[in-house]
Amino acid sequence: MTLQMAERTQRTRPKTRKAGKVSRREQATGWLFLAPFALTFLAFLVAPLLYALYLSLFQKQLIGGTSFVFLDNYSKAFTDPTFLDGAWFVVRFSAVSIPIQMLVALGMALILDTVTSAFSRFSRLMIFLPYAIPTVIGALMWGFLYSKSFGPLNDVFGASAPDFLSSQLIFYGLLNIVTWQWTGYYMIILFAALQGIDPTLYEAARIDGASAWQIALRIKIPLITPALLLILVFALIGTLQFFNEPEILRELAAGAISPDYTPNMYAYHQALGLANFNYGAAISFALGGVVFVCVYVFMFLTRKRGSFF
Amino acid sequence: MTGRTVSASRRRRSQPHLPLQILLGFLVLYYLVPFWWVVVNSSKDAPGLFGGGNALWFADNIDFIGNLQELFTYNDGIYLRWMFNSALYAVAGGVGATTLAVLAGYGFAKFRFAGRRFGFAVLLGAVMVPQTALVIPTFVLFSELGLTNTIWAVILPTLLNPFGVYLMHVYARDAVPDELLDAGRVDGAGEGRIFLNVALPLMRPAVVTVLLLSVVAAWNNYFLPLAMLSDNRLFPVTVGLDMWQGTAGGNNAGTTPLWSIIIMGALVSVIPLIIAFLLLQRYWRGGLSIGSVK
Amino acid sequence: MKRKPFLGAVSVFAMASALVACSSGDDASSGGGGGGASGCTNSIPKEDLPVVSMWAWYPNMDKAIDNFNEQNDEVQVCWTNVGEGGDEYDKFQTAISSGTGAPDVIMLEADRISTYQIQDALVDISDYGYDEVADNYGEGAWKDVSIGDAIYGVPVDGGPMGMIYRTDIFEQYDITPPTTWAEYEQAAQKVKDAGGPLFGDLGANVPALIMALQIQKGATPFEYDPTQPETIGINLNDQASKDVLDYWAGLVDQGLVGTQDHFTPEYISGVIKGDYATYISAAWTPGYLTGSGVGEGKDAGKFAVAPLPQWDPSSPVQVNWGGSAFSVTSQADDPELAAKVAYGVYADEETLTDGWTNQIIFPLNLNALHDPEFVNLHSEFFGGQQANKEVYVPAANAYEGFTYSPFQEYYYDAMTKQLAAINEGSISGSEAADRLQDDVVGYAEEQGFTVQ
Repeated sequence: MTLQMAERTQRTRPKTRKAGKVSRREQATGWLFLAPFALTFLAFLVAPLLYALYLSLFQKQLIGGTSFVFLDNYSKAFTDPTFLDGAWFVVRFSAVSIPIQMLVALGMALILDTVTSAFSRFSRLMIFLPYAIPTVIGALMWGFLYSKSFGPLNDVFGASAPDFLSSQLIFYGLLNIVTWQWTGYYMIILFAALQGIDPTLYEAARIDGASAWQIALRIKIPLITPALLLILVFALIGTLQFFNEPEILRELAAGAISPDYTPNMYAYHQALGLANFNYGAAISFALGGVVFVCVYVFMFLTRKRGSFF
Repeated sequence: MTGRTVSASRRRRSQPHLPLQILLGFLVLYYLVPFWWVVVNSSKDAPGLFGGGNALWFADNIDFIGNLQELFTYNDGIYLRWMFNSALYAVAGGVGATTLAVLAGYGFAKFRFAGRRFGFAVLLGAVMVPQTALVIPTFVLFSELGLTNTIWAVILPTLLNPFGVYLMHVYARDAVPDELLDAGRVDGAGEGRIFLNVALPLMRPAVVTVLLLSVVAAWNNYFLPLAMLSDNRLFPVTVGLDMWQGTAGGNNAGTTPLWSIIIMGALVSVIPLIIAFLLLQRYWRGGLSIGSVK
Repeated sequence: MKRKPFLGAVSVFAMASALVACSSGDDASSGGGGGGASGCTNSIPKEDLPVVSMWAWYPNMDKAIDNFNEQNDEVQVCWTNVGEGGDEYDKFQTAISSGTGAPDVIMLEADRISTYQIQDALVDISDYGYDEVADNYGEGAWKDVSIGDAIYGVPVDGGPMGMIYRTDIFEQYDITPPTTWAEYEQAAQKVKDAGGPLFGDLGANVPALIMALQIQKGATPFEYDPTQPETIGINLNDQASKDVLDYWAGLVDQGLVGTQDHFTPEYISGVIKGDYATYISAAWTPGYLTGSGVGEGKDAGKFAVAPLPQWDPSSPVQVNWGGSAFSVTSQADDPELAAKVAYGVYADEETLTDGWTNQIIFPLNLNALHDPEFVNLHSEFFGGQQANKEVYVPAANAYEGFTYSPFQEYYYDAMTKQLAAINEGSISGSEAADRLQDDVVGYAEEQGFTVQ
């Protein structure tokens, strides 16, 4: 949403003041504006991270108590099949769910940009509605819907209804929840970007004989690339932190979703279920580190094309 | 644009696009199915829910009122408290986070100071730190400070919104001309007054966006309060309903039909935000289109 | 002049904070009570007495507390419900790890007592009045809450097991209640051959049930001697354990039983619709099913209960699934006073009667368990059958108690994974037992135990 503007600003912002001659007063005022956030930042981001780092250097056993083990927890995490399975699930899930979410959101945004009727305005609102639903409630509702005979699936498909709470299909069950929950929001972002495109571009293209399909492909999509990258980052961060949906569905599908299903659930379960804060912290930190590096690399790679940050 | 091209474009745009409209119809159905299910099933009692009737249609016995009464009286009416807590956390956390973000974004955009570049780089990094990874260490820290199981344990960490700061920074940089600020300074106005009277009005669309994102994020919060709170009277509705689901799944709901209450609770819990979104359409649509409209 | 307007800007934030502070005023005053108690759900009638805080989730807990507080002139209870089972355990574990925030008295399922005892989170209450109530509970009940000679909990309710079945299905397919597991399988086959419904269900999320069935066959999952806390015996893949898993894996494989998780709306729906001819379960199940709406509609009066099938009918073994106790935590300010509460709450006749008449608990207190009214009760859920007399009371009397591990949660999670694999059809019961053994032994060693 803000990216096109960011792009433009970076190119055109006039350098009104000379560098190097910053008054004391400006320095102080700048920091004053920053101070409340900086304090929060130190207290609720830097301090917990450092503390997690510190905790993660210790090991706690039921027998033997706590001891300093330096990086053992990390070497353990990166060879721990449970953690790796969880991480691998998240990678697979991201690889499937993110493109699907983006394609669905893009498709809907293009349709809504093309069709302007009262019904399309109504649709836009309805499609956006799940964004207003807490993910916990969304997962709860879908969990009920997935229950074959409690929910509607048996009514619709009969005895051969798919069981989205089984180990085989839970992946798709989660995929559907995430798609339902977030595509409306992404659609609105893309739609807003599409609405911002100068319509005379389409007129020109039509005069040149371009079809609606070609206009979408050649004009609309390239022009909203920054917005697409933005939702990509949203989806990436969201998916890598996957916690709420599987945690809620676990109450209906304990066999299909183990308490260590995703790295976040694993960390939570280690820390609070099994009293192992140290290993939980190491997993949190390892996960945070991996996500950070992945997203940063990704942003670096896309920086020039989309002018992200 | 001449009048002729406008009408031409109108004509094109008003084409019925029937296949697309039908497709949209199916999409709307898909997005509404869970809502429909919840509305229908919140009217049922336990036999209606489990008795094998059509899950997508009402049972013979429609009992919205009875279930609503159960919902608001079960456990001494704790559900209402949960809703209130959710609202409190969302408003306090959302407004607080937005305030901090506006101040910091403006500071980053309009002042040069030692550590600015470094600070901004750190901020960009922080956008990518998964909030959930912070919950466990924050919890341990808070427990050592004796802050767990208080409303502050939920509200304070919610104040952190690096993405909001980034958004405000980008917007302030573009939408607030330096010349206006300098003019204010020449007139002798203090920095605070300049910010409030000159910059803030110009930043309003971005403020609305950040506020919206923060409030929704705080309203949705589950992991943080789940870890932080043990007194169920401090729970937000997300954690509370989850607790009821756990109770219904265990043996100890007694003879109260808890599933009906949970479904009714899910329905009632989504109503406030839906109403807010419908009423505030103009604002959030404007907010979300920042930058691409101009 | 320079700073004053800036304060105005900050005041927006201050207003937000003030809003929070105002609306939270009443929480702050009532919360943070003694002993880590955070606000009582009940009101305390005798305000000048010392107060003991308590977590518990029985649905008639409010009555139990009111009864206790009214009758007691030494101590008052401040009770709150922080969630059922796992939800509460997470919070208790949290409080243990952070050294603060636990209640004085906590409701625990008996199988979790070792878990917390090894973390020094519970107090041995054998010196605080055990002698006075020792005769009130049976041996099996006491064994479940003891570690060696130390007592870490006061039994409240138990889960002696039985086999609930659908009379309509049994009649339709001409079956009498099986008394052995071999007969159970034959009956299941007969129903299936006649095109009938599933005979039972293997839920991956009920490891405690499967453990009980393994113990019934003679397995001893854990051997633990508290005088040597660093050594533990783990036998999860002995022949008895394997036999039971193979038996159920066989039933699953032949399509005789379902693979649905228990305690879900889906499972309840199945029970109501008659998708399962039997439900291997415990004495608290009728209450749970009634609360979920079972037996109210077309399925009313169609349930009955028979004793749990046996492996060797000549020497029957009775086992237990579930049941809870009150324990005193080591964060209690006054453990002796807390022990009084643990011994006293839910032990008075009025509360116990309320508990069993409303199908909330199956009492372990012998005063209730041997009360003729309780024993001879005609169960409404079972269509007037004297379920207690015929099934549950004898099972409770014959129950000898289990030994649990100090990492029961890990063990259950690990077993759930293996049960899920069995239900998927990817491994046999024996393989599952071997994997479970490896998994749990690995965890125990990692935690510093010497595994025998």
